[in-house]
Amino acid sequence: MKSLLRNLARQSRRNFALSRPACVLLIASLLPAVSRAQTSSSDSPVPILSGSAGYFNFITAGQNQIDAQINPVLLLPLGDQWLVESRAEFEGAFQRPPGGGPYEGGVSKNLDYAQVDYIANPYFTVTLGRFLTPFGIFNERLYPIWIRSLQQDPLILPLSAESSDGMMLRGGFPLNPNANLSYAVYGSAISTVHNNLVSDRNVGGRVGFFLPGSRLEVGTSWQKLLQDARTNSFGLYFAWQPQRLPLNMHGEYARSNQGSGYWVDGAYRLSQVTYWQRVMRRLEFAARAEQFFSGEISSDEAEAIGLPGASTREGEFGLNYYLRDGVKAVASYGRQFSSDGNFNLWTVGITYRFLLPLGRVGLQ
Amino acid sequence: MTLKLIVAGVALALISMLCIAADSPHSNPTIPVAQNSVQADAMRVAGEKTFHANCGRCHAAPQKFPPRMMATIVRHMRVRATITDEDMRLVLFYMTQ
Repeated sequence: MKSLLRNLARQSRRNFALSRPACVLLIASLLPAVSRAQTSSSDSPVPILSGSAGYFNFITAGQNQIDAQINPVLLLPLGDQWLVESRAEFEGAFQRPPGGGPYEGGVSKNLDYAQVDYIANPYFTVTLGRFLTPFGIFNERLYPIWIRSLQQDPLILPLSAESSDGMMLRGGFPLNPNANLSYAVYGSAISTVHNNLVSDRNVGGRVGFFLPGSRLEVGTSWQKLLQDARTNSFGLYFAWQPQRLPLNMHGEYARSNQGSGYWVDGAYRLSQVTYWQRVMRRLEFAARAEQFFSGEISSDEAEAIGLPGASTREGEFGLNYYLRDGVKAVASYGRQFSSDGNFNLWTVGITYRFLLPLGRVGLQ
Repeated sequence: MTLKLIVAGVALALISMLCIAADSPHSNPTIPVAQNSVQADAMRVAGEKTFHANCGRCHAAPQKFPPRMMATIVRHMRVRATITDEDMRLVLFYMTQ
């Protein structure tokens, strides 16, 4: 297993070395455009330091894990059409050893994305650097701890690469008054899969249709490995917010040689409850059902990238309480069923989203 | 070798597209200006609706921020959520008025 991982890392380094001159050429060709005139109007965008911080207790199969994390996001607008954005992840995970004793663990560091965006026109944006892989919706849109309604990752999340290093073209435009189309296509020299492992070159894309009237988005994703087995991954997703209910539903299906599966979750804000309104409007009930089916890889290989070692089912429900804007207390209970054993998952914690201007913003 | 050719081809295509698109007049959403209070109200209502339909798909509504901060946030979300130009203008108006 270790030799496999070493080979993967070596191969990825080789790939990066191969594409480095091309990246330098690209960046050099873009610099003149970046350095062009900055606007100085009172509404011009200001750099922002944003992100989230969280503290959690995860009790998995009776084993308590203390998890503290901070995920800063830097947004640096340049001129009228450029944006440099980056997110890092610092996570400390500590748990007692099986025999008892003091908590042990370490702090992991990860650069989720560091990208340069060029908004060429209303329908077309070019992204260079390390970006979140646009496969499905969880990784790109729902991953931040202040956004997700349940803090446990979906079982199928590691089926696609977390980050990709390369180039992406993306955008969105109205097809007609009742439907918008969004798209993203990318090529990647290296991809970072979950657990910070690196993977090979790949290309992929996503296309989605959003119907504003019914607040329904559906889409599909595809990813192809460009070497070795040249495998394909395929995904479907939906997001739906009914007009009449404070309900937010999401779901994804993904399939690759590593396995397949789906998750569906819903978060219902109790703002329509007529009693105890001051409390109820801040309370959210969330639930998720999901299933993973093992693929063609061994259980050791699956566990190394964060997938379950065997086919697994899981149900989870939780309560979120919005203390104030950006601060959320979370609690959830779930149970996982698989041939490796059944166990409970408990989560208690708090998340905080911060947003700081790095310049003068004037009055609102 | 094949990869080098692909990268070089994509780079050339990208640079060409950048040159073509560089002078596009509508590439950066600015806060729309309402001609009168009736139009402002209509834009606010449309903006709120657009905000809930687009941004609300992923997260709850945050507080409103000063225009210079919102301009950055909107640019970030435009890329992240591939929201259309028109929707971004309405969201920007709603979140800054």
